[in-house]
Amino acid sequence: MTMDMFQPQQASSMLVSNVWDDLWWRGTTGASTFADGIDTIFFFIFWVSLLFFIVLMGLMVLFAWAYRRRQGYGPESSASHNTTLEITWTVIPSILFLIMFLWGFKGYLPMQIAPSDSEVINVSAYQWGWEWTYDTGAQTQQFEVMADVPSPVFAVPVGRPVKLIMSSRDVIHSAYISQFRVKRDIFPNKYTTLWFQAEQTTHYFDEEAGEALPISPDNKGFHLACTEYCGDQHSQMWGRIAVMAEADYQAWKAKMGTFEGPLHELGKLLHTTKGCAACHSVDGSQKTGPTWQGVWMEPREFTNAPGESYADETEYRNYMRESILEPHKKILAGYPNQMQSYQGQLTDREMLGLLVYMKTLSSNPDDVSAAMAESAAEMEAREAGESESEGGEAAAEEMS
Amino acid sequence: MSHHDVSYLAPKETGWKTIWSWIFTVDHKKIGVMYLAAVLLAFLLGGIFAIALRLELWEPVKTLADGTVTGQVLDLGAGATANNWYNRAFTLHGTVMVFLFIIPSIPASLGNIFLPIMLGAKDVAFPKLNLFSWYVYVFGGLFALYAILAGGVETGWTFYTPYSSTTEWGSVTAMVLGAFILGFSSIFTGMNFIATVHKLRTPGMGWFDMPLFVWALYATSIIQVLATPVLGITLLFIVFERMFQVGVFDPALGGDPVLFQHFFWFYSHPAVYIMILPGFGVISEMIAVHCQKKLFGYKAIAFSSIAIAAISFLVWGHHMFTSETPAANAIFSALTFLVAIPTAIKVFNWIATMYKASIAINTPMLYVMAFLFCFTIGGLTGPPLATLAVDIHLHDTYFVVAHFHYVMMGGTVLAFIGALHHWWPKIFGKMYNEFWGMMGCTLVFVGFNVTFFTQFFLGTQGMPRRYATYIEEFTSLHQISTIGSLILALGLFVHLGNFILSLVSGPKAPRNPWGGLTFEWEADAPPVEHNFPKEPVIVHGPYDYGTVTPPHTNPGEFPLNDERPSA
Amino acid sequence: MTAINPDTGGQPAKREPWEDYTHQHHWRNGADEFDAAKLGMWLFLATEVLLFSGFFCAYFVFRMQFPENWHEASRYYLSWEIGFANTCVLLLSSFTVVLAIRAAQLGKKSHILFWLLITQLCAGFFLVVKLGWEYWPKIVKDELPGANFAYGERAAHVLEHAAANGIDQAVAMNEVARDHIFLSLYWVTTATHGVHVLVGMIVFAWCMYRAWRGHYGPKNYIMLENCGLYWHIVDIIWIFVFPLYYLV
Ligand code: HEA
Ligand code: HEA
Ligand code: HEC
Ligand code: CUA
Ligand SMILES: [Cu+2]
Repeated sequence: MTMDMFQPQQASSMLVSNVWDDLWWRGTTGASTFADGIDTIFFFIFWVSLLFFIVLMGLMVLFAWAYRRRQGYGPESSASHNTTLEITWTVIPSILFLIMFLWGFKGYLPMQIAPSDSEVINVSAYQWGWEWTYDTGAQTQQFEVMADVPSPVFAVPVGRPVKLIMSSRDVIHSAYISQFRVKRDIFPNKYTTLWFQAEQTTHYFDEEAGEALPISPDNKGFHLACTEYCGDQHSQMWGRIAVMAEADYQAWKAKMGTFEGPLHELGKLLHTTKGCAACHSVDGSQKTGPTWQGVWMEPREFTNAPGESYADETEYRNYMRESILEPHKKILAGYPNQMQSYQGQLTDREMLGLLVYMKTLSSNPDDVSAAMAESAAEMEAREAGESESEGGEAAAEEMS
Repeated sequence: MSHHDVSYLAPKETGWKTIWSWIFTVDHKKIGVMYLAAVLLAFLLGGIFAIALRLELWEPVKTLADGTVTGQVLDLGAGATANNWYNRAFTLHGTVMVFLFIIPSIPASLGNIFLPIMLGAKDVAFPKLNLFSWYVYVFGGLFALYAILAGGVETGWTFYTPYSSTTEWGSVTAMVLGAFILGFSSIFTGMNFIATVHKLRTPGMGWFDMPLFVWALYATSIIQVLATPVLGITLLFIVFERMFQVGVFDPALGGDPVLFQHFFWFYSHPAVYIMILPGFGVISEMIAVHCQKKLFGYKAIAFSSIAIAAISFLVWGHHMFTSETPAANAIFSALTFLVAIPTAIKVFNWIATMYKASIAINTPMLYVMAFLFCFTIGGLTGPPLATLAVDIHLHDTYFVVAHFHYVMMGGTVLAFIGALHHWWPKIFGKMYNEFWGMMGCTLVFVGFNVTFFTQFFLGTQGMPRRYATYIEEFTSLHQISTIGSLILALGLFVHLGNFILSLVSGPKAPRNPWGGLTFEWEADAPPVEHNFPKEPVIVHGPYDYGTVTPPHTNPGEFPLNDERPSA
Repeated sequence: MTAINPDTGGQPAKREPWEDYTHQHHWRNGADEFDAAKLGMWLFLATEVLLFSGFFCAYFVFRMQFPENWHEASRYYLSWEIGFANTCVLLLSSFTVVLAIRAAQLGKKSHILFWLLITQLCAGFFLVVKLGWEYWPKIVKDELPGANFAYGERAAHVLEHAAANGIDQAVAMNEVARDHIFLSLYWVTTATHGVHVLVGMIVFAWCMYRAWRGHYGPKNYIMLENCGLYWHIVDIIWIFVFPLYYLV
């Protein structure tokens, strides 16, 4: 069994030994302020249960051996009920159950009320991915392959409460960070919240890479997973939680708040950050939605509208825009009506970036070079514009 | 010969008449045997899906640098993604196992056959309704089969909205209608049993002269009758949602998806006791017979069944700790612990029954002990789930998957297989091979524990359920679990072979091979058409072992209390 | 036998099947069979009540959240007069069923048939009113459940009312935003109830046939009695539906 090795940890209570800790928790006790408390309750129940189990099974095996049937021997007579005994074995478990209930409730209540000085992050879950928007408006641009797909890396500060305000864009999802022992369902029609305080630093901000990197190769950070079944790629809604010291966290947030690259790179980034990648491949492979590779300017067939072919590019770009903002209008033949509208979630530059990026995926080499040229021209114009408006507002570049 | 002294299995004059005598039978035993065949078929189908699941989980899916994909077993193309195949597999596994297999399993097969006999009656109260409910079951099953063939369903057996009401994949409506129809079959069986228990006990048989299997079936029937309609309405709502977009559960239309969860669990929690109570019943029967010992605390066991049935209606919210408000959660958590107490009482009583007994080591008794082992683990992992703070972590992880397999497979199914061996000689008049029975039991026991104990660790380590693929950290535990499931499957096939062999060439069974005292052991093996040539009279209690010599046994075979060979 | 049957005008009667009825062979006596059949029916009725209680639960969950909307929607979409008329007919039919059972206990075949016929007429009246005066106008005006719903005239009505009372239009529309859920519940509840009425009619048609063949009499009327119980439950459910939907 592979065990993630973490920095030496104190076993949080005398109920928890290191061996058990590895087996049950993969050695992650103490990753959040809740973890130790919850593990202690778990182990209390565990030891009580083990005790009962050993006694009961011990007696069973003992009786099965001692009173095994022997030819010619009848059973021995014994009472067929005993009120004292029966009351005892009703009352003792009842008391233990009462303790479990009260302790569990006591541990659960604080998880419901986030401290008022929490770092607030808005979480939007969708089929099938996560979008975390930090208080500065920053969104992650960092990805790591988990469960075979590029999964977002989300930074959180260490030693300070973090509160997630969550909603869903489609069906029910559920946010689960196992090492923090927190979980809460996410609904399309209301906001739910979840809070935690991370206790172990796992990452630092690397200026050069512009990314959060693990402190040690053994500890790659914690897992964010979706635990309410939500369709095809429910099992690939993973994310990485990177816990960083305050300064690193702020630096990471600042870095993620800006994007300076050219249009086609912006489009490529959005393909993952906005979750398009969940349904649209860029290498021609089959997913829930149509691939973006080699389809630029191709004619289309629809299930709910007459087919179209595109004479000029403006017409085609309008169709693309419409497909992103009002996807239900024209459903591509052979695909389900499953894409949600991105109305109000993309700035003009982002929309343009997506289109230019899609154009670079055309099978026609002329399109590809035209797209690159468009991208470069826009870069130039932007740089020129920036130096004009002295100390210019970077706001235009900020991702919404 | 009149039908009073011919085995109910005896063929009629011609082949056609024999077939006719089965498909239009109102004999509870024949209906029971038909149910037995049907539920075992469903078990096999569900098991095939289960093995498919385990194979897919052998390795996480990985795309290598050169673009080849490894670790994908269930990718059969056909316009579906690889994940979709897995999602369909676990949904169909859960749905088939719950609605087609485990709910009807013990009550509709063994219950149908033995409830009237144990009461000394000629049949159930409404024999035609009994046959009708079998046909309703088959009809519902055909709906489910149609749904499986027409693209299947990938919503999970819980059909949570809005996913289930909006997904465009497969035939959710047909599957939901199938489950709705199966519900009626379950209601009819329940009504029939309640009326039978009330009105067809043999003269002189009071409530506390009834065998505990009858008590368990009685409690089960009450839940079936009272909870199933709510499932019915819930499923109807899904059908309405899908056909007319009524929007009651669809947030996009202003509805409330959590309301659906309340409706669903209001049925499905009591349903878990529909699944386990008959298991408790057969365990009580088997343990008394094979230990030749009066059951310890008969009344406590009988009343705890009723208590479980009653409290089970008040705890459904424990499936929703991550979707409901703290106040609701606190109440449901507390009530859940309450329902664990009567269960604990039963376990203690069973073990106490073995004290100073005369314990036979044979397949049914091995299964009793395997049941006590596995069910206790399953039961003991209920309290951590009922504990609020802990369930927040464990909810929708493999810990829950392990918990419910320990209670359903390790509880009900082990009890069912044990009881099949126990009553096999009576039902079919043939003995099975004891050696292969015990071999099968050993394989099942080992395989089962390897498969599912591992999953407790997966769960606490954070492996979510309903995952077609996973991150690499979990690979080794998943592989152990998969190996276990293959051993388990092997054990079950050993049983299947053993049973088939017994039917084909098993030796004729004596009337009372285990020395039982309940009425079914008075009857012929197999029983005659109306169970008893003459209405049996009650002369001793159902568990007066050690003081009454069992009928139709050889002298000295089952000595009474404190009898010793005269040396 | 030479018994004189008063029901056939003093003529010596042909022997009716009910006179020879004995319990089915697996029963010890007729009384047990009778009790069991009734117990079975009560259990079935319990399941019916629970089925409908699902609808009522959903109703209360939404009504508690949107009491104003509920009140408004009920007043606008449903006419209590029609509902009241239907309530009366159903009550009447419950009464006539009792009379039919009474007639069976007295062995008056023609009376059984007569009272069942009246019951059928009442049930038919109920369904015709339901379909013709409630469902059809709603279908025409798109007052349909959930996504199939359209405000149509209702919007004009609400906006007019808002203008007259100086209420902001958006606020006024928001107040009726759950109309489609109200209608969803109304449709599924009343349609399911309507199906039960229809099933009742079919069952009573069968009862009439059996009565005509002489199967019901003092020795054997359990089926009639059970069908009557079923009919009372269908009636009682309506007694709940009526105030909850028509009178809020
Ligand atoms: C046969 C079916 C069966 C049975 C009998 C049980 C029995 C119990 N179950 Fe289980 N349960 C399921 C089937 C069953 N369950 C299923 C199918 C699910 C998942 C559904 C899904 O999501 O798909 C589930 C899920 C489930 C949950 C929700 C988990 C989640 O999703 O987060 C919870 C939470 O409270 C729970 C609790 C319990 C408890 C407390 C018992 C108790 O009744 C157990 C009582 C027994 C004992 C406790 C053991 C014996 C007692 C002693 C030896 C005495 C001494 C013990 C102590 C003092 C501790 N179960
Ligand atoms: C009665 C209920 C029941 C039973 C018996 C089983 C049996 C098994 N289950 Fe199942 N399971 C569920 C009910 C059940 N399950 C439910 C409700 C779910 C949740 C679904 C959801 O999330 O929606 C689930 C989910 C579930 C999962 C989780 C999937 C996921 O979340 O991604 C897994 C994974 O390992 C699994 C595995 C197995 C295995 C290996 C068996 C094995 O024990 C199966 C062994 C059986 C056979 C191999 C068949 C052999 C049969 C014969 C030969 C017939 C004749 C037999 C005799 C005569 C004796 N099950
Ligand atoms: C839930 C899965 C899903 C996600 C996430 C998704 N799409 Fe789609 N998309 C689809 C499906 C399915 C179709 C085809 C059906 C249709 O036309 O609506 C589609 C169609 C399209 C089309 C028309 C394609 C064509 O070739 O005609 C465009 C353009 C598009 N999506 C862009 C996007 C962009 C941009 C994003 C992210 C910002 C995105 N999609 C996210 C599922 C998705
Ligand atoms: Cu999102 Cu599961
Ligand atoms: Cu439950």
